[in-house]
Amino acid sequence: MSKRILVSILSLTLFALSCSREQNFDEKVLNLISSQKIKGFDPIYAADLYSANEVGKVYETLLEFHYLKRPYELTPNLAESMPEVSKDGLTYTFKIKKGVKFHDSKAFADGKGRELKADDFVYSFKRLGDPKLQSTGWWVWDGKIAGLNEWREKNSTAEKVNYAEEISGLKKIDDYTLQVKLNKPFPQFLYSLAMPFTSVVAHEAVEKFGQEFQNYPVGTGPFVLDYFDNSNRIVYKRNPTFRDKFYPSEGEASDESQGLLSDAGKKLPLVEKIIVNIVIEAQPQWLNFQKGSADLLGVPKDNFDQAIVGGKEIAPEMAKKGIRLSMVPSLDVTYIAFNHNDPLFTSNLKLRQALSLAYDRVESNKLFFNNTAQIAQSIIPPGIAGHKKEYKNAFVDRDLERAKKLLKEAGYPEGKGLPELTYETVGSTVSRQQGEFFAKCMSDIGVKVKISTNTWPELVKKTNTKTAQMFGMAWGADYPDAENFLSLMYGPNESPGSNSSNYKNAAFDKIFAQAAIMQDSPERTALYEKLYEMVGDDVPWIYGVHRTTVSLNHGWLKNYKYIEFNHTQSQYLNVDLETKKELLKKF
Amino acid sequence: MQDQDTKSLWGDAFSRLVRDRWALISLIIVLAYSLIALLASFGVGVPDWKTSMGAEYLPPGGSLWLGTDLFGRDVFAKVIHGTKIAMSVGLVTSLIAIPIGVVIGALAGYFGGWIDDIISWFITTFSSIPNIMLLISITLILGKGLTSVYLALGMTGWVGLARLIRGEVMKHKEREYVQAAGAIGGGHLRKLFIHILPNVTHLVIINTSLQFQTAIKSEVILSYLGLGVQGEPSWGTMIDDARMELARGVWWQLAGATVAMFIVVLAFNILGDALRDALDPKLKGK
Repeated sequence: MSKRILVSILSLTLFALSCSREQNFDEKVLNLISSQKIKGFDPIYAADLYSANEVGKVYETLLEFHYLKRPYELTPNLAESMPEVSKDGLTYTFKIKKGVKFHDSKAFADGKGRELKADDFVYSFKRLGDPKLQSTGWWVWDGKIAGLNEWREKNSTAEKVNYAEEISGLKKIDDYTLQVKLNKPFPQFLYSLAMPFTSVVAHEAVEKFGQEFQNYPVGTGPFVLDYFDNSNRIVYKRNPTFRDKFYPSEGEASDESQGLLSDAGKKLPLVEKIIVNIVIEAQPQWLNFQKGSADLLGVPKDNFDQAIVGGKEIAPEMAKKGIRLSMVPSLDVTYIAFNHNDPLFTSNLKLRQALSLAYDRVESNKLFFNNTAQIAQSIIPPGIAGHKKEYKNAFVDRDLERAKKLLKEAGYPEGKGLPELTYETVGSTVSRQQGEFFAKCMSDIGVKVKISTNTWPELVKKTNTKTAQMFGMAWGADYPDAENFLSLMYGPNESPGSNSSNYKNAAFDKIFAQAAIMQDSPERTALYEKLYEMVGDDVPWIYGVHRTTVSLNHGWLKNYKYIEFNHTQSQYLNVDLETKKELLKKF
Repeated sequence: MQDQDTKSLWGDAFSRLVRDRWALISLIIVLAYSLIALLASFGVGVPDWKTSMGAEYLPPGGSLWLGTDLFGRDVFAKVIHGTKIAMSVGLVTSLIAIPIGVVIGALAGYFGGWIDDIISWFITTFSSIPNIMLLISITLILGKGLTSVYLALGMTGWVGLARLIRGEVMKHKEREYVQAAGAIGGGHLRKLFIHILPNVTHLVIINTSLQFQTAIKSEVILSYLGLGVQGEPSWGTMIDDARMELARGVWWQLAGATVAMFIVVLAFNILGDALRDALDPKLKGK
């Protein structure tokens, strides 16, 4: 017996030793945490935040959001400058940076990455529309690029998709000039060129790796993938052939005083290596951050009181260790979606309203967001034109009496006759608790809910194949335009597009299509507000909240500034090894 | 002192069992858990775990013996509900595992030859797969939920018993009473099931008590990993919740679930030991 105990103690010690890897002070390493597994690195499937964050380290787009400037502003990335736009606003001509190299890879004949050319964009953009690949980002460009839909249609029945065929809307003028023609005005077009979906890939890599392409990314980005284990860890190294890209030298007025400009003009990326640990559960995330093996972390709900005092100040014992707090309202909305492919919900507005009324958002804000979130009335978050402050959704404040009445009118008095509903979520403790909370709220009006847990890729698959009945999710803005949120309700965007709840409303679709081709104007904002109210009243989802991102970062992490569109952020981050050495002594 | 009463095997075993104070206490504990589980299944006399009894994370005190959880639900009521789940898992998995184990073990032991070869190969292969891995893969295939837990634990729990029964049957089939049964014309099945099996029943009983507590522990582990019971409290999910709550100083959920589990698992272990002592003829009179 005593021997067995000894052995287990010994193995525990070994385990502990292997866990506390020695901190390496020779090179700058960025330690990050991803809270979900990702499926792979193919940009055309980077529909979720977690995939986008990883894709953004190895792949690049023509444009990106300026790291420091607010309000958000697009700047050229792989493009030499912002494009020339024709008078009718339909033709965009891009000059592409010269001397940009793809990562070295065995996909290339000599193993060396070749230069990026305009052809690569034509190829990558066609891939987004490839009918056989079924990109989860096709909705962004569906019907908008001249000739692309026709090409997609024609090739959907062909045995092999013909990439050689020219498309009128995607043209190479010369090796460094690309021309894109639109079918109709598409004011968000430039924004879409900063989304990971439109990243440029090398056709050699796609051809060489085939199915495995998602595991062997070959991009032009600041980092190259070094190691990928989808359930544990992703390691990146600085791309040795990365072009001359420099840290911005201007930003917001307050950036200077916050030290965000101290690396101005330095060549990017600023660190040698990135280690992304995949840690799904909140508690180990927190412990990792506490011992300094993660540089940056969103504060888990149960640790909120430890980290933050008075709801907005960092706790003194954290401040002593040099830890800093960032609290910024996110441009997002959380929701519990109804699958409108399920006849149960499509035809029964009263049922949806009843369920929405039974959901307790005030309590959920308290339990899961420490009262930092704002209750959502409809789909557009505050801070984006189209969010109508005065609008009050009549089905958002919890009212059990009304809920019961509506449930009865819906044909299910006290829940009788209504089949058990299935709520799909991911398998972390907090997600399970959120599911249980939802089930508990519903049981108050007699509705039974079964909770089904999945891995993130499983859940994404279920929504893409329209097999999830109800699911809890959040949508974060891809760009600061309400169209990005409203598109989630646009019928033609149904799964695998962004409308994963498969909501269809002809009246909405009509106005949306009208607003989607309008430039930013008071008229457009008025239409957005109308749509905002429409999908508020129609309760296509059980709206949740607009969250605030509450995160902590260590004193040695430099240049951290909250950016909503953060998939390119890691190249700007820096680690101060001297400070790290000093601060770690206090741990 | 010479014992003058003539006692049956079972009567004797029982009297020896209750003479052991710890065994008796364990037996009472097990019966108490069973009673609670039974009452909880019929919803009689047990507190309701679904309704909020007050604010979230109330510490133990007053009528809330174990405080409340994050939704303000009574933790004590959750422990009781967890008891029902745990005991039902123990019971159902035993009901699945024991018949499989007994039949397979008995067939292998009695017939020997190629039947034994095949079954032994099966047993060896089965037991070489890490148990928890097997459990996880079975629940992933069958889908998560209580039924899957029953099946997964039932389908993995028979191996040890089968091996024991096999050995014991091998020993018994050469005994005189079995030969006598054969001599008066008893067939294989008669010899095996009417004559041999009753003489190895004590192994089944001992094994059941051990199987029971293994099943309870496995259920807790599976639920803790999110693969077990869905949408209702189990000791495993309570411990999973508590992992994060400890950061807030909320210890009652963890305490409730672990103490409840500790007591019943310990009781089953002691009872299993005592049963072996009571039923093993070799230890008679000690």
